[in-house]
Formats: sequence, structure tokens, C-alpha cells
Amino acid sequence: MAKRTPSIDTKNLTAVQLMELDSCTRCGECVKWCPTYAASGQKPGLAPRDKILRWKQYMNKSYGIKAKLFGPEEIPQSELEEFKDDVHGCTTCGICGTVCESGINTVELWEAMRANLVKKGIGPYGKQSMFPKLIGQYHNPYMKDQKDRLAWVPKDVKIENKADIVYFTGCTAGYNQLSLAFATSRVLNKLGIPFAMLGEEEWCCGSALIRTGQAHINDLPREIAKHNVEAIQKKGAKKVVFACAGCFRAAKVDWPRLLGKELPFEVIHITEFLAGLIKQDKIKWVKPINKTITYHDPCHLGRHVGVYDAPRYVLSHIPGVKFVEMDRVKEFQRCCGAGGGVKAGIPDLALGVAESRVKDALATDSDILSSACPFCKRNLSDGRDSLKVDLVVEDVIELVAEALGLSTEVPKAA
Amino acid sequence: MAYFSGLSDVLRITFVQIMILSTIAIVIFLYGMMINFQKWGAGVTGYGLEPQEGTKGSAIRFLKTWWKQVTEESHHGHGKPILEVLILDIMFQRRILKRSPLRWFMHFTIFAGWMTLFALSGMMFAVEMTEKIGIELPFTPAEFRDILSIPNYIFGYVLLIGVIIAIVRRLFVSEVREASIMYDWTLIGVVFLVTISGFVADGIRTGIIWNFGLDPASAPPAALFHSVISLLFCIAYIPYSKYIHIIATPLAILANKGGE
Repeated sequence: MAKRTPSIDTKNLTAVQLMELDSCTRCGECVKWCPTYAASGQKPGLAPRDKILRWKQYMNKSYGIKAKLFGPEEIPQSELEEFKDDVHGCTTCGICGTVCESGINTVELWEAMRANLVKKGIGPYGKQSMFPKLIGQYHNPYMKDQKDRLAWVPKDVKIENKADIVYFTGCTAGYNQLSLAFATSRVLNKLGIPFAMLGEEEWCCGSALIRTGQAHINDLPREIAKHNVEAIQKKGAKKVVFACAGCFRAAKVDWPRLLGKELPFEVIHITEFLAGLIKQDKIKWVKPINKTITYHDPCHLGRHVGVYDAPRYVLSHIPGVKFVEMDRVKEFQRCCGAGGGVKAGIPDLALGVAESRVKDALATDSDILSSACPFCKRNLSDGRDSLKVDLVVEDVIELVAEALGLSTEVPKAA
Repeated sequence: MAYFSGLSDVLRITFVQIMILSTIAIVIFLYGMMINFQKWGAGVTGYGLEPQEGTKGSAIRFLKTWWKQVTEESHHGHGKPILEVLILDIMFQRRILKRSPLRWFMHFTIFAGWMTLFALSGMMFAVEMTEKIGIELPFTPAEFRDILSIPNYIFGYVLLIGVIIAIVRRLFVSEVREASIMYDWTLIGVVFLVTISGFVADGIRTGIIWNFGLDPASAPPAALFHSVISLLFCIAYIPYSKYIHIIATPLAILANKGGE
């Protein structure tokens, strides 16, 4: 009789992550805070501690003492499929890790589980499976022509061929949310900051592939990271400015890890860059914004890399702005619902989470809900529209542009 | 020979027999830990990797991977100094305090009571061993047991307070009760059993509070019961139950530099 083999393997799961499964004390803090668990109507399978318990049971069935003595116990394929659905029903926002009393690095654990299952042919979820093909073929997830990377650039914006600073636009701002790209480029020009852009040489940052457990497919993220780093170096950059939190996180955390070395330039989010200029008194505001504004921390900018103060510093220095905080901010922020491939894979769930966050903003009586990430802007806008409420959703950089007297309006032809 | 760590020769359980029982408990513990280390060591050594074909889980691989993660720089910039993590996050359990002062009090009293009683038992054992090998101390084991009786009582009650809070929480807080599974119940049930049996054994021996009117002649079997379940559940059972968090949680907190 053939020897039974374990139903799961340990690809992508590090020895430390397997130990983390046993470190969970099931205190339930993660369950209290999880945004998708709440938005799903408390679907038990989405509770982070439940996912940990199930994978721990899979490990014990496959590699535990009973498995050693009597052979591995089979885990039905249907159970693994169900687990796949649950592990993809997560925005990888990381709040479970922040509140975890056992200090488990949950985001990396979910991503490792996703990758493990994808390698096994289980997952990813729904439309997420299109990412490798689209990003591999088009170098962006929107099937846009790379030649149009700079098609949005208005005539008044001056871009250097080479400069100390490169503005990495990101696919979403460069193709779909042009007002962000308008705002960023015009603000940099207005402040007299010479900058270059990568144009056709800018490839998707790879975040969507990594977050959805598809990093191994054709080794795309590594290829992307290598290409982008080389393209940035060719521009002579010492500093790369990002206005997209997802791209920023990818460049700051994922690219060095994929390439196995530190990047030869500094990566910085536009809000950090602007905060630095404000501190040096290099920004002369032109127009007040007499509004009450609250700020939503993007997960990729906040919890993932710890940038909390710079966006608040910028907003609170815009003349006329009355800055107010929502419930659940900074490290305890409630996710907008778009991350981790949930917007693409499970849009209804993403919308439910966004509605919760919009309600947080409404409770502050703010006129504007701001953020620093095009994905957050898109999903929070969808949440606002779904609730049919009167609330402006704007990126911090758009508000800065407005206060500098710059237009971010996208011409109809663009 | 009198044996003060819980038994006397009235019971005819000799020092040798208790040592054999302890050894069995330790062997079961070590075997379980080896299985766990091998299970954890079936994982890969770094980000995005795959295990090598044909390799089995290895305790050494786990320890190397863990140490590498402890000593490498955090990619997320969240890392805290190891000494701070050891003192505040592991000993003081700051992460629990941040989330729930009541749950911290519960866990900390169990942790402090349990560990201190364990240390006091170890000290009693060391004194007995010292006497056995002929080294003279300024006190006899009997006198030392009397010295330890007050700290034993204090930390016994510290432990009991934590255990009672834990049980009341699990029984009467609906969200906790509904989420509880056998994995959780076993942990708290066993801690309760060991704690209460310790008080009862001591109460029967001294005739104070916890004797429940029982005949002092039943003190030795009560002490034996407490000793056996302490050895089995507090040592041997650790790798096979939720008790594993006693080992895995500090290791995880260290590996993640205090957590996010």
C-alpha cells in the first residue's frame, strides 16, 4: 500500500510562521477588530483566530504526533477550498497583527497561506487570478498600453529627463485617477522641485501579485522590482516619491526583500516629502480650505510601514482646515476594504467595509474624508455613493494642490 | 527520608519513585517538544521559499530560522530592542495590558503565581538535594519548608485569583463562552484542578481553611495526587495542548521584535 502523503505542504510558510500557529492563545482580540469579519455579518470563517486554528489543525493532521505515529490524516479538498475563500476574504490590513497579544505577524502569515494554496492549485479568488497575466503582459493590471503611461501629463507640467527625484505614479493614478497624478506633478512643479518620471519604463509595483499569493508565478514581482529599480537608477534618482500607498509599501518592503538587497535610493511617500518642506517653511499656501477634514490612514502607509504623522501634519498646516480625527485611527485604523485583492475578488465585501469607514467619517461631521492612497479613495468613494451621503472624498495631495491654487481637474479628453 | 516537596515517607512514595515520575514527565515533555520543533522545522527558512525535496522537518532548521529572524532587521521598521521586548512584552506582558487590563491582570496573576510556585518548588528540591549529598546548610529541609510556607501561600492565592477570574470569564461572559472550544477548556480546567488540589493537599496537612473537614490521614494521598497531576499536566502535557503557548508565544514575540 502506498504511503499516505500529507494533504498540505509547507511551501512559503516559514518555520517561525508554523510556530506562530501554536502561539495563538485565542484571546479573540483579532476577531473584535477585523473589518471583513464585521462587514461579512461575522462570518465565522473570516475570523483571524479561526484561520490560525484551522491551519494549525491541518499541520497537526499532516505533521503532528498522530501523523508521525499513524500517518497523515487526509484533509478533504472541499475543506481546503473553503479555507482558500476565507483566507482571501481579508484585506491584509494588519489590524489583527497590531492587536495580537502573541505578536503574530499576521499579514505575512495570510500571504504565505495564500501563496501556499495557490501553489497547490487552490486559489486565488475570482478575478484575482487575472493579475499575473495582465501584469505580465501589459505591465499594469488595467490592460492599458505602456506607451500611454505619460499620456495624462498636461502641457503645463515640466518633467525632467533626469533628476534627483523620481515621481513613481503607479498604475491607478497614471491611468484611472488622473487627478492624483495632476495634483502631484503640479505641486512638485509649483514648489520648484525638479523631478523625472519613468514613463514606459514604469511597471506595476507588483503589490497585487504579492498580496494575493501569486508572487511566485513566473517570478513576476522580482522581475518587476528589478526592472523598476534599474529604470529609476537610469534616471539618476536619489529619492523616489510615491503618492500611492500600495506602491510605496511594495517599494519599501517588498522590493528589497525580493531583490535581496537594500535599494540604491530613498523611497518616500509624498506626504512625508511635503511635511519635510513645510517644516523648512518652503511651502507658501495660496488659498485657504475652510472645511472640516478628517483623515483615513491607508493600511499600506500606516500599519505596514508606520507613516501616521506626516499626512496629519500636512493637512493641519493647510490654512483654513479644521482637522478632526475619526474613531479608530493610526495603528488602530479601520481598513477601507480595498486591499489584499478584496476589491478585485470580493467587491461586495470591500463595499461593506468601506461603508463602515464612511460612517466613521460621518460621525465627525467632516466635510471631507481624505486619504493618501488611490485605492482608499476609490473604495471610500464607492462606500459614500452606496450610502448616498454628502461627503467629499479627496486625497491629501489634491487638497494640497487646491491650497496652492492648482487645478486637479481632469480635462474630458484625458 | 522525608521528602518535603509534597510527599513524606508516610506515603511510602520514596524520593526515588518521585524522581522516576519526574523523569517520565520530562521525557514525555522532551519528546513532545521534539515533535513540535520538527513540525515547525518543516517550514521554510525564509520569505517565499519552498522546502527542499525529500527533506523532513528539522528542529535545528527551526532554531536557526527563528534565531535569524530574531537577529535580522525588521523590513517594516517596527522592531523594538530585544531587552525591551524581553522585559516589557514577555515578562510584563505589555501587549495584553494594552488590550484589556482585566485580562492582563488575570493572565499576569496566573503567570506570576505559577512561575513563582514553580521556582519555590525548585528551591525546596535544591535544598533537599543539598542535604542528600551531605552539604551542610544553616537550616534543615523542614525549616526551609516553613520559611517557604508564607511565599507559597501568597503566590498560591495570586494564582488562584487569576484562575478564578479566568473561569468566571469563560463561564459567564457570553462572547468568551461561545467562542470556547475544548482546546481552551482543557487548559483552564487543568490549571484549576492543579491549583485547587495543591490548596486542598496543604489544607489537609495543616488543618487550615482548605481541609474541608477531611481526615489528616488523607494528607499523603492528597499530596500524591497533587504531585502527580502537577508533573503530568504542568510538564508532560505542555507540548500536546494549549500549554504550548507558554513556549511558542514568547518565541513568536521575540521573532517579531515585540510585534507590530
